[in-house]
Amino acid sequence: MTRSSVLLAVCGVAAAMFGFAAPAARTAEPVRIGIMWPLTGNAAAAGQASKAAVEVALDIINNAHPELANLPLAATTGLPNLGGAKIEVTLVDHQGDPSMAQQLTTRLVTQDKVNALMGAYQSSCSFTATAVAERYGVPFMVGESAALNITGRGFKWVFRGTPIASDYARTYMRFFADLKKQGRKIDSIAVVNENTDYGTSVGDAIEAEAKQTGVPVAIRIPYSASSTDVSAQVLQLKQKQPDVVIFISYTADSILYMKTMRNLDYRPPMVIGDDTGFSDPSFIPAVSDVAQGAMNRSAWDIGKPGSTTYKINEMYKAKTGRDLDDTSARNMQSLFALADAINRAGSTDPEKIRDALAKTDLKPDQLMMGYQGVKFDETGQNILAATYLIQLQGKQYQLVWPETAANAKLQWPMAGWTQ
Amino acid sequence: MVIMQVIVGGLLLGAIYALFSSGLTLIWGMMNFINFAHGEFVMLGMYVALLVVVGIGGGPAVFGIAAAGALFALGVVIYAFLIRHVLRGPMIAQILSTFGLALLLRYAAFWFFSANFVSLPGNALSGTIDLGGIFLPVAQVVAGSVAIVLTLLLQFLLTRTLIGSMLLAVAEDPDAATLMGIRPDRIQALAWGLSAGAAGIAGALLATAYPWSPSVGETFGLIAFVVVAFGGFGSVLGSLYAGLIIGLIQAASGFWLGVIYKDVVVYALFVALLWLRPQGLMGKA
Amino acid sequence: MKKLAAPPLGLTLLAVGLVLYPLLFSDAFYRDIGVTFLLAAIAASAWNIVGGYAGQISVGHSMFFGIGAYTPVLFYTLWGWPPLVGIPVGILLSLALAAVIGLPTLRLSGHYFSMATIAVAELIRILVGTWNFVGAAIGLQGPARGRAWWDLTFRSELPYYYIFLVVLGIVLAVTATFESRRFGYYVRAIKAGERAAKSLGVPVHWTKMQALLLSAAFTSIAGSLYVVKTGFVDPGSGFGILVSVQMVIVAALGGAGTLYGPLLGALILIPLQTATNNWLGGGGSGLTFIIYGGIIVLIARFEPGGLSELWHRLLRKRWKRVDATA
Repeated sequence: MTRSSVLLAVCGVAAAMFGFAAPAARTAEPVRIGIMWPLTGNAAAAGQASKAAVEVALDIINNAHPELANLPLAATTGLPNLGGAKIEVTLVDHQGDPSMAQQLTTRLVTQDKVNALMGAYQSSCSFTATAVAERYGVPFMVGESAALNITGRGFKWVFRGTPIASDYARTYMRFFADLKKQGRKIDSIAVVNENTDYGTSVGDAIEAEAKQTGVPVAIRIPYSASSTDVSAQVLQLKQKQPDVVIFISYTADSILYMKTMRNLDYRPPMVIGDDTGFSDPSFIPAVSDVAQGAMNRSAWDIGKPGSTTYKINEMYKAKTGRDLDDTSARNMQSLFALADAINRAGSTDPEKIRDALAKTDLKPDQLMMGYQGVKFDETGQNILAATYLIQLQGKQYQLVWPETAANAKLQWPMAGWTQ
Repeated sequence: MVIMQVIVGGLLLGAIYALFSSGLTLIWGMMNFINFAHGEFVMLGMYVALLVVVGIGGGPAVFGIAAAGALFALGVVIYAFLIRHVLRGPMIAQILSTFGLALLLRYAAFWFFSANFVSLPGNALSGTIDLGGIFLPVAQVVAGSVAIVLTLLLQFLLTRTLIGSMLLAVAEDPDAATLMGIRPDRIQALAWGLSAGAAGIAGALLATAYPWSPSVGETFGLIAFVVVAFGGFGSVLGSLYAGLIIGLIQAASGFWLGVIYKDVVVYALFVALLWLRPQGLMGKA
Repeated sequence: MKKLAAPPLGLTLLAVGLVLYPLLFSDAFYRDIGVTFLLAAIAASAWNIVGGYAGQISVGHSMFFGIGAYTPVLFYTLWGWPPLVGIPVGILLSLALAAVIGLPTLRLSGHYFSMATIAVAELIRILVGTWNFVGAAIGLQGPARGRAWWDLTFRSELPYYYIFLVVLGIVLAVTATFESRRFGYYVRAIKAGERAAKSLGVPVHWTKMQALLLSAAFTSIAGSLYVVKTGFVDPGSGFGILVSVQMVIVAALGGAGTLYGPLLGALILIPLQTATNNWLGGGGSGLTFIIYGGIIVLIARFEPGGLSELWHRLLRKRWKRVDATA
């Protein structure tokens, strides 16, 4: 009699689990996409920004926006080939935990019956989530994850719309080659990377690419992004005197680097930030007085008033009060590419969506990002993804490279601080 | 010259470690209580500073005192509603309660202030002093000096004042203290207020040099534990020395061995120290 | 004593409930929650042997969990060996590590032991994160698709569920056996007071070491089960401090030092975590953790001995009432 209560408790818990089962049943009309990001935990800021970006993207796809007509699906309401069906997103928070990402993918597929998936920011979570998607045969668009081998595992259902570490590394080397042609001195570079999946992947790629193109890496400094003090790193750089320092850093640490360089009076000819921290909206206000001329990688450029990108940024700004950052913008672009494929598939059948994704061929003028297009190779990687280099001039980044796209002149060497 | 810069940088860093550890050691030593939410107190101190600067403006003195006051009050409230009840419970209940508290505080801040990174606007303590090629960032010098003054004040309070004697009496034996007319509850509430208040000042000063988001407490929490254990639980002076030593070790090993190994060196030394001298540098055996 | 002689009826019902659960809830998502629950219960039960029974509160058990998780996928990555081979090797490595760190740290008492275990686990996490041989920061992946059953890579959650259930049964049975032997009396004596225990002739250090070794072995198995289920491990998910903290919280919530405490803790905590995250996580306001943290605080505040204590008290009350009315 006493222990039978145990069973009651078990049943109670089981019933509680049962409670959060089905989202209200609807007609099969809307297209469902499940999206997972870290909305809590250490990477929450990135996930939250991407969440807002997706909401803007949904507005653009689901409602008529003739002013953005160069983007596919913007001018129309919903997906025309599916009778104007709207896209419905189920957003979940994997908290940066790979096993949570696995469980949530299972839920999105089996409970929410999503037609396609997108995520997951941290490479660890993309690894486990894509494996589940592959098992169930649901297309998974990796919006933004650094690790190289997320694609290329022989998976059929995984696509990645964003450029990857080796693309960035090649971009930097091409940029250096351009500079050398103009007679600037790039005798050695330094690579400073935070030591989780992102920093390590990009740092490794840059080091490998530099070796190949014959640019000496004077020093490679991996560090922990939660460091409260970075003077040891800055002192090491100061000793080696590289011509360019590339920082692959998150937010707090990149701000700390700029401030510490000022404090220790170290001003290399050029600093290049690898997106992420340098693109965080809190970066410019915090360091614009000490990091003048610092460069940053970005495939996103707000552009001139009246341009499509400018209008998208205005929409995002109205929602969040901040400018759209590169990471969120790339996620947004990935969602556009996914929606375009679903529309071309003309069906919510996963197999048809997958085939349409594989046939994707978006041209540069159909994109909000500075890619040369969106086209996936057999591993699912976007081979036309590319990136710009931008430079902090005043209180804003200006597009300075490649010159064909540039709207401002490269300032070299960087000014850093004036007073 | 580089060596001098490394040493000076290490000491300045260490002073900041000491600053946010001094409150932790008070609780740990007095009540044999691990507070896993101490880093969150520091984080809240940073946000209080931000609110004050944005809301009414003012220099470090203003927002430092505001943060200390706000966190003092919070410390007392947390003591009254939570800590008092788990203080005499098993050690595991203490751990459980402050883990839960840490999550609660971190995500309460998350809820109010969002996950975005923020920095203190204005340049309250910017600039650098150049001592013949050795650079001293003003913010760190101020934080370091305040840390040392605060630690000494705390030490003075504990050893030279009536309140200090009461605190120590309660720490020694709460029942005997009660017989002497001391109300242990009040004294312990005061200790929690002081501990959280010190963390609040630490947070306010760190905010002048360091951008943060609600999860910053984690970063500071772990270092604080090592500093406190290194210095000897409950020894305020010990945590000052330990903070300086750890800062120095981190700076030196970071510069000569490689930055990723600086924490490895600290943890390894810490384990070795625990083995050889479990009571810490200044702790009583 | 009283816990050992758990009425067979309740225990049977619990066992039957656990066995039937995946058959009653055939949906993959609910089965996955069941698997997560079992894993949490296994890890917390393993932790409980040294943290609960022997009272040595380790906050660094992720070191064993991580070794258990890394070894099978490392062997798979290096030589394509099935994970099954790596599991026993992981246990041996964990035992070795437990012996090495136990010798110095088990002499420490109370918070010192906790701090030392945190430090060692962090040390290992940082080193693994910089070591290319074990995948450094990126981590290691298991087989994407199982070649045969011995790869332990299944398409369905069902095999995982029953494997985990059997392991949980073994952990609990071994714990119960140890509890009823001399070891059980020794650890209780140590927990009550080390000095007194020593004067009574209890081999304090050896008993603590035994508890640590046993606990490390089971925790290593938990790590191995984790990795065959998720197919991936990186320094954070293997050696991160949150892994250790989760074990402590689950055990403490249910009742540390009791046989079924960790099970009870997992039974409450995992559904709570899952439910709050699934209901509220997508909103992104952090409400998940406010509720989660709040509930932990409330339990610590009102039931410092864990929920199993509340359980026993409720039973006692009910018995009293029955007595009174009789």
